Amino acid sequence: MRRSLVLTGAAVTVLGLLAGCSSGDSSSDSGKTTLKVAALEGGYGRAMYTEVIKDYEASHPDIDVQLQISKSIEDEITPSMQAGNYPDVVVLGQGRKAGLTETLIKDEALEDLTPVLDEKVPGEDTTVGEKLTKGIVGNLNTNPYGNDQTYLMPMYYAPTGLFYNQGLFEENGWEVPTTWDEMFALGDEAEKQGIPLFTYPTAGYLDSYFYALLADIGGEQFYTDVMTYQQDVWETPNARRALDLTTRLLSYAAPETVGYANEQDFTKNQQLILDNEALFMPNGTWIVGEMADAPRADGFQWGLTPLPAVETGGSRYITTSVESVWIPKAAEHKDPAKDFIAYLYSDKAADIFAKSNAIQPIEGIADSLTGENAEFYQVYEDPSVSALVGGFASTAPVAGVDIKATLFDTANSIISGDTTEDEWQKSLNEASEKLRQAGD
Amino acid sequence: MTTLSTPPPGSTNRTSDTAAKEPSTRRSRRGARSASARLGRRRGNTGFVLACLLPALVLFAVFMVYPTMNVFRTSLYTWGGFSPDKDFVGLDNFRQLLDDDQFVRAFQNTVALMVVVTVVTMGMGLFLAAIMTRQRLRGRNLYRFVLYIPNVLSVVVIAAIFSAVYDQDNGLLNGTLRLLSLDGLQQVWLGNQDIVLYSVAIAMVWQSLGYYMVLYMAGMASIPEELYEASALDGASATRQFFSITLPLIWQSLRTTLTFFVMSAVNLSFVLVRAMTGGGPDGSSDVLLNYMYRQAYTNSSYGYGMAIGVVIFAFSFLVSLLVNRATKREPLQF
Repeated sequence: MRRSLVLTGAAVTVLGLLAGCSSGDSSSDSGKTTLKVAALEGGYGRAMYTEVIKDYEASHPDIDVQLQISKSIEDEITPSMQAGNYPDVVVLGQGRKAGLTETLIKDEALEDLTPVLDEKVPGEDTTVGEKLTKGIVGNLNTNPYGNDQTYLMPMYYAPTGLFYNQGLFEENGWEVPTTWDEMFALGDEAEKQGIPLFTYPTAGYLDSYFYALLADIGGEQFYTDVMTYQQDVWETPNARRALDLTTRLLSYAAPETVGYANEQDFTKNQQLILDNEALFMPNGTWIVGEMADAPRADGFQWGLTPLPAVETGGSRYITTSVESVWIPKAAEHKDPAKDFIAYLYSDKAADIFAKSNAIQPIEGIADSLTGENAEFYQVYEDPSVSALVGGFASTAPVAGVDIKATLFDTANSIISGDTTEDEWQKSLNEASEKLRQAGD
Repeated sequence: MTTLSTPPPGSTNRTSDTAAKEPSTRRSRRGARSASARLGRRRGNTGFVLACLLPALVLFAVFMVYPTMNVFRTSLYTWGGFSPDKDFVGLDNFRQLLDDDQFVRAFQNTVALMVVVTVVTMGMGLFLAAIMTRQRLRGRNLYRFVLYIPNVLSVVVIAAIFSAVYDQDNGLLNGTLRLLSLDGLQQVWLGNQDIVLYSVAIAMVWQSLGYYMVLYMAGMASIPEELYEASALDGASATRQFFSITLPLIWQSLRTTLTFFVMSAVNLSFVLVRAMTGGGPDGSSDVLLNYMYRQAYTNSSYGYGMAIGVVIFAFSFLVSLLVNRATKREPLQF
């Protein structure tokens, strides 16, 4: 009797264990469709999402939107995705360290969103495609395979460039340099005052710098050539010039830079700008919120400038970071998900997002901005400055090759003298070639 | 069996035999019955024991055996991690590892950490444990407590502490050096590619020293005092006592900790490197698990990452085995 009791107990334990492994069913009983939305909690906060979702649910009573939002959303959704449990809508851009979006692009696991462009925004008469800023769709950022199919809808856009302290420039009567010659002249000038010209939070922040530099030097065609791994593109004079300029700029880097260029200490590099201990750093508009509570020099005011032009009057590009929203191919409710995405571009939603400084690429929205943001988005008004979107093209994964790490992280070794420009160029060419072969 | 032992009727010449045999047969019959009952009960017990073991076995199979087999299987494929199509490539992933400079670098770093951290931690742990148990140090409980604390701290906290210690401008280390007018010795502890690995090693030693010290102290405390007294009468110095009595008698605990060292060099170094340096600057402090993580999760090369995982598995297994074999001694009795 007792034995059978114990046996039953053991059996129940085993069953309990197995039951614990099975995933819960998400569909609700009330007949409502549950739309699972996963979003990255970036510098814009989470309140805007809850507000937009509340608004959406009010006009769509048959849909229940479940929001999962986190600063490391990849870590939270990846395990359940690998177990086959996919969110319906994901707001997450490329260029994140975890590279989840890139992985899904490489695995061709995203839903084709081209039809959404022709869909009417719920409650409005215009289509999504009509509302979007010209040129924001159709680049490698939205059409990652280089064809007419849009897989990632542009969600927010923000200029990234060199950030500096306007107050310091006024105080010293310095002009913000518009050519590289002026830049290095300023570097020498500032050095006399003991202020280094340049720093970066971590080497990864050099992405915005490099993309713009490549386009500045060789135009958009050259930029695309590099991003799509054309054969021997890193052996060209243009590529060498980019590395020359960069190596020279890195020789002006603040001595602290490399020691602080890690996940733990990168804000200390950012603090150098606030303390007038370095002039420029590559960064994005989120820096204002990120360093909001940090102490700063008297008269400090954030300024943003595109990279200097290669020659006087030359064209200048500003790398524009675009966050994306996409639907996994394996999502359960694709049609409501597409409708929800279309809704994200409605005037009402755009207002809510803009209040949190999340600026969507919708025609005419930049006019409504105020404060520091208005100033940052002003860079697009300069006729000699063009927006540059995208990044390295996706190929089939190549084990052991990470061209971003080769291009950006090597800056640490250049500053510390552990490698040379020639070796840098060589390893870039090797990595690019391996990726080109994988793309064929 | 019963028919055989029963004497045939009428065979009188064997009567005495039978009479003598009778009780023993009966006894053996009873014995057989009780043995078979015991066997039956034992069989019942086996079922019961198995039933009790089942939950643990299921857990072990589901969470250890199956995933491990999966790692081995996935290492033979090219797979991004999400798509349904995996390409079988055989041993290509492993072949590629040999040409991967960053992998070789991460491997070297792991081995270097394994050796440096093991030697330093073990040496210091033994030294401190010997002092605390043998020298009857005043306030040794306090020391033990203080040295043990780092072990209960989370690795992220340790990373934050060492970020403050190593800070190049106003860090504890450089600040102290400046105070002592040793400005020439100041370093960019986490930025200099030649020393960043040792900076990580110091943090690892600091974290685990207390743990191993306590383990060794427990071993030393069980050594009978007479041995020391006797050897002291024979004129043995404290050093001699340590090498001739203490060390041989705690040999078994030493061997156990060696396995721990191998494991922590692989596991702990990953968490610490990830939190402190991210493998940087420029991959100079990368360790195997960190590289595996980067390949599997951020470079969309899950299969390749798993191949690295297999190498880590085989390597730590092999090292543990070799260390275990090399240190095998006849256990000493006291």
